[in-house]
Formats: sequence, C-alpha cells, structure tokens
Amino acid sequence: MEQQVTVAIIEDHPVVTEGVASWIRSDPGRRVLLVHTARDLNGLEGEARPSADVVILDLELSGELVTAQIPGLVAAGYRVVAFSGHSDPAIVMETLDNGAHAYVSKEEGSDHLVEAVLAAAADRPYVTRSQARAMLSDQRPGRPDLSQQELQALLLWFQGMSKASVGRRMSISENTVRQYISRARAKYAATGRTAPSKDALLARAIEDGVIKPGEIMPYTSFARAAANRPSLGAPGQ
Amino acid sequence: MTDAQPTTTMSGRYQRTFTIAVVVLVAGWHLAGGGGQLLHNRTDYPSFAFQGALWLVMAVAIAVGSVLVLRGSLDWRLAWTVAIIALVASTASAAASPAGQMLAVNWAWGSAGWIGVLVLHRRRLVELVWFLAAEAAATLTVQAWDGLDRLDLAAFLALLAWSTGAQIAVAAAVKALDSAADRAVTAARSEDAARERAVTAEIIQAARQARWLALQESTAPLVAELAAGTADPGDPQLQVRCAVQAARLRRLMAEGDELPGSLVHELHASADVAELRGIAVEIETAGMLPQVPGPARRVITDAAITILTAARSQARITLATVAAGIAVSFVADTGSVVLLPAAGQGVAFEHQQDGGMLWAEARWNNR
Repeated sequence: MEQQVTVAIIEDHPVVTEGVASWIRSDPGRRVLLVHTARDLNGLEGEARPSADVVILDLELSGELVTAQIPGLVAAGYRVVAFSGHSDPAIVMETLDNGAHAYVSKEEGSDHLVEAVLAAAADRPYVTRSQARAMLSDQRPGRPDLSQQELQALLLWFQGMSKASVGRRMSISENTVRQYISRARAKYAATGRTAPSKDALLARAIEDGVIKPGEIMPYTSFARAAANRPSLGAPGQ
Repeated sequence: MTDAQPTTTMSGRYQRTFTIAVVVLVAGWHLAGGGGQLLHNRTDYPSFAFQGALWLVMAVAIAVGSVLVLRGSLDWRLAWTVAIIALVASTASAAASPAGQMLAVNWAWGSAGWIGVLVLHRRRLVELVWFLAAEAAATLTVQAWDGLDRLDLAAFLALLAWSTGAQIAVAAAVKALDSAADRAVTAARSEDAARERAVTAEIIQAARQARWLALQESTAPLVAELAAGTADPGDPQLQVRCAVQAARLRRLMAEGDELPGSLVHELHASADVAELRGIAVEIETAGMLPQVPGPARRVITDAAITILTAARSQARITLATVAAGIAVSFVADTGSVVLLPAAGQGVAFEHQQDGGMLWAEARWNNR
C-alpha cells in the first residue's frame, strides 16, 4: 500500500467537517488520513503549522470569501482543494487562478472529494462537473485556447455523462476522454497568475504525456526553451 | 409569434362583416331599386325582354362578384371583368331605352355603379372613381347621341351627383372602417399582451409561493425528523426524500435571476411533476444562454417532460451555449430507450443509451 495522503479540513460548519471526515473514513483503500480540522485559517500560519499534503478549504468562512487566501496556503506548501456551495463560474475560475488544484461543489462532495484530494496530492488534474461548467462558461479575454475535442469532452462531462459514455459518444477510449479533460485543465494552469501549484500541475501533465510544452506556449521557440527548464512558469514570463 | 394569428383573424372578421354589408346593399339595390324601376317603367321600353335579360346579366354579375369577394379570391382581372360586364350591360340598357326618356326610365346606371362598388371597394379608391366616370361618360354619350338639351343635362348631373356620390361614399366608408378595425385590433393586441404579461407574472408569483408553501410542508418536517433523530439517514427512502428536497431548494435559489418565458424557467416547471413522483432533478446552465423562440422551446420542453416521465430516480438537465445556439441535454436513469418527440422548429435531437442511463441532447441553432 502506498503512503497515506495527509489532509486538513478548514470548514466553519462542524456538521460538514464531520461529513467530509466520514467520506474519508469510508474510503475502502483508506488512502487518506485526516490530520487536522479547524474552523478558520489561523492555525495554518506561522512556524507551528500542521503538516498536511492537501487542505480541503471551504471558500466561505464565517461569512467571508477566502479565495484571496489561497496563494498564501499554496506558498506555504499546501495543495488546496476548494469545497464550496458557491458554484458561480466566476468564483470557480478565481479559485483555480489563485492556485487551487481542484474545485468540488458541496453536491459533488460524496462522489468526488476524496478522488480530488488524491489527484491533488499527486499534482494531477481533477475536473469536476462544476469545474467543467466554469471552464465552458469562461469568456475572459485571457482564457486558454481549447481544441474542439477538449471542448466537446468537457461539454459531455458537464452534461452528466460518465467518462465511458463520453468515450462512446466521441468514438474514443475512456482514457483519451480523461486526457482531453486533463489537457484542458492543464492549459488553464498555464494562464493567469503564477503559483507553484500550477507549475507543479503543468510539469506533471507534461511528464504524464497529457500535454506537450508546445500546446501550452503561444510561440514554438519559447516553448522549446521552456521545455528544458525544470519548472515552468506562465507564458510570457 | 403566437398572438399574430388571432389578430389577423379578428381584423379579418371585421372586414368580412363590412363585405357582407356591401353585398347586401348592392343586391338589395339591384332587386328593389333597379328591379323596381324596371317593372314600373316596363311599358316604356321598346323591348322589355331585352331590358329584363340585361337585369339578369347584372344579377348574375352580382352573384359571381359576391362569391368571389367573400372568398377573398377576387384579383384585379376578375374584378375588372365583372365591372366591365356591368358597364357594357348598363350602356346597352341606356342605348335600348326610348330616346328623350332615357334618363327617366334608366334602371341600369345605378345597378352597374353598385356592382363597381362591390368588386372594387377593396382596391384603391381611384379605380372605382375611374369606373364610375367611364360609366357616366358612356351614359352621357348615349344621351348626347339621342340629343342633349339643357334639361337632359340637368337631369344627368342630378343623377350623377346622387348615385355616384352615394357609391363613392360607401366605398370610402368601408375603407375607413377597415383601417379603424385594424387600429382597434392592434390596440387590443397590445392590451392583450400587457394583460398576458401581468397574468404570467402573477402565475409565476403564485407558483413561487406555492413552492415555498410546499417546502414548508415537505422540507421543514424532514429537517425536523433529522434533527430529532427519528429519521434514519441510512434508509434509502429517506435518502430519496432528501434528494428531492435538495433539488427543490436549489431550484428555488436558481429562480431569483431568471426571466419569465425563458427556457430555464419552463424546464423548471416541467421538472415539477417529476419531483412530485420523487425524481431528483438537477438543472444547470453554462455560459450566456441565447433567447430561444417559443415554438423551439416547446419542442425542447416536450422532450424534457417525456424523459423526466421515464426517469426512475434521478435526472440532470443542462443548458450550455454552443456555437450559434444552445445545447440542452438530459441524463436520466430511464432503464430503457425512450421515444423522443418529433424534432423541428430548428431543434435537432441526438441520444445515446448506456445500460440504464439515457443521454439525450436537443440542439437549437439561431441561424
């Protein structure tokens, strides 16, 4: 068995914290270990902060949106999975742009939260339906250029099909469906503000063959140069 | 739109009433006015049989013209054919009248003029004026042939003023009534539209209140049971109840930002019945959705109702902006293949069955 992924839950409603803890406990492989719970972010600052691979973060703590705190958490070495009732695409995009690995809405929690935590711990993309929705709704000028295949896979996934069904619909394998969706997510990691978590996600995507450096960078010459670097920044850096 | 048709029909109904009035007037004149004059002066004509035959020709012209005008199948060729037959009959009648008494015993001028009104009153007024002028000129020519003195001319002008004046007045009145009816119907339509909007707003308001009350009746006790610990969260029936209530609460929140008549609104309404059966329905949107015209919305909501009726426990409806239109999709555990309603109105359907799960997509393109 692989080493357990350690996780902290930051959530101001104890009932929700208990629910998340029960999902973690009921994971058959016991792949995740809960090491810390808190109702605010104070405990994650300073020298004595707990060690955890992933932080499950409720985006609204005591009535305030905490998306702006995500860069601080990422800089402190945590991988962030946002878990929120706010499914507004603008908030989802801001959360990802600030360096969160994944976004899971409260409705999606039981099916996706543990898997999203595991993916985040491995720096791999994890795209929930609400995240696909936000990517499909994105009209910002700086949004990445997604291919027709990537958009189609995202759309069918958002619509509610299983990945196997999406594959049948598009006449491709389930694995290729995952690849299209992950590639779209990786393209997002290459845009907007810089964050170590986004670099890590991109580097892992290149390593896994999900995306080629040339597909991220707008200019080929720049891409070749960037591909040789150990860590990748955002384009234009 | 749906309200255009009743308007046309209503305005058409008024026009038909005016046409019937004209038909009755013209037939009545020919029977009583023209026919009465003909019988009264029957001994004065060189050939009463010839005059009678001309009267019958005009009666047939009136019958044919009436049918054509009431059917709305009177084009300019037919209209002028009937008018010229009347003109020729009228002139022949004048020519076959005793010289010197022609104007006194003339029955045909009036009838022919009224036939002109019958077949030309929906055309430009100037056409009727030309017809009546031609008829007057023909009658005057016959009179001049027989010899025209000052008295004859005075009688001619008096007849002209009386009959032609009345005929033009009737044609002009019908035109004025037509346009008044059009205006009235247009005004009524905008009033109807305003009333319809008000009624729609009331229905939406009432539906929201009804939903709020339903939540009070169904969600509140459920929460109370959970809080009191009398409900078992492991009970599958309770889980279904929770799912249905959660879907309703989400929908109630989603309704804050939508417009009446929108596709999202109608899909919510379509989902109501399924929820009553205990189906958990999710509705989500992605992107700025375009406005979909009414008939296309109906095709899409028909599909929604068909699929939701076949769903066993859950359904997800999504609306997403796609190139040049909208993709509305349905994923539901229908168990078996569902026969979708007919496509049309610019909406195309695609579907795929995977085991017990149905995926169906309705795409509407705005070009």
